[in-house]
Amino acid sequence: MRLRAVEHRHRLPERLKLALIRVVSGRRVPDVVKTLLYRPEFFGRAMCDWTQAVMRGPSAWSVGERELFAAFTSRLNQCVF
Amino acid sequence: MHGTPLDGRARSGHSSGLETPAMGTMDDRRGRYAAYTARLVDTVVTQPGHTPPELRRAVLERAFGPHPLSKPETSSPLSGTERGTGGEDHTGERERGRTGDDLLAAYVDKVARHAYKVTDEDVGQLQHTGHSDDALFEVTISAALGAALGRLERGLAALRGESSPPVPLSANAERGN
Repeated sequence: MRLRAVEHRHRLPERLKLALIRVVSGRRVPDVVKTLLYRPEFFGRAMCDWTQAVMRGPSAWSVGERELFAAFTSRLNQCVF
Repeated sequence: MHGTPLDGRARSGHSSGLETPAMGTMDDRRGRYAAYTARLVDTVVTQPGHTPPELRRAVLERAFGPHPLSKPETSSPLSGTERGTGGEDHTGERERGRTGDDLLAAYVDKVARHAYKVTDEDVGQLQHTGHSDDALFEVTISAALGAALGRLERGLAALRGESSPPVPLSANAERGN
C-alpha cells in the first residue's frame, strides 16, 4: 500500500475489524479491504452496499457466474482478484 | 448513450444534482442498481474531505472518459489541462516546469487507464508536491470510480446496441502504450 494512511491510520472500529480479519484468516488483510475500511463514510460503505446488491442481490446470473465475470474483468485490468 | 453523463445538471451544487444523465440511463434500463450507484457517486463527490468537492468531480469526469457534447467546467482545477481523450500518455511529457495540476492530471489518467502502471515514484512525487495521503486517497477513489462508471456506461450502451464514443480505456488503446 503506497498511502501510509490507508495502510495504518484506520479509526478504532475499523482497526478492530482489520485485527479480527487478520486473526480469523491467519493472513495479512488484502489492500482492497484496507481501502474499503479507511474512512468508510467516504467510499467503503457505499461501495460495499453497491457490491452486495450487484454481486449477491437478485439476478438472472448466479453468484458464481457473477464472481467469474468479476475475476475475468480483473484479469483484463491486470489486477489480482 | 446520453450525451453528458456525470455532467450537466450537477452544476447546481445540490447533492440531488448528482443524479446525472449517466445515472438516468441506468435508471431507465438498469433501475435495480441506480440508487446504489447514485449514492456511491454522491458520497465520494459531495461530502467534506481533504480535497474540494469540485476537484473530486473534475477528477471523476476526467476519468469517466470523453464526452463529445460536454465541456469541462472552466473553474475545475483539472480543466486547464488536456483531457484524457485519446491514446495520449502524459507520462514523461513536459517534465520540466510541470505544475502540481499536471502531475495530478497525469496520475488521474494513469489510474483511469491502467492503474497497474502506477509506481511508488508517481505517488511519491505527488506527496512531495504537498498532497496528503488523505487527499491522494480521495483523488484515487474519484478517478477509479469515474473510470469504472465510464466503462459500465459504455458497456451498457453496447449491450443496447447503441453506438459508443471512442474508448481510450479499452485494452486495445492500452496496448499501444
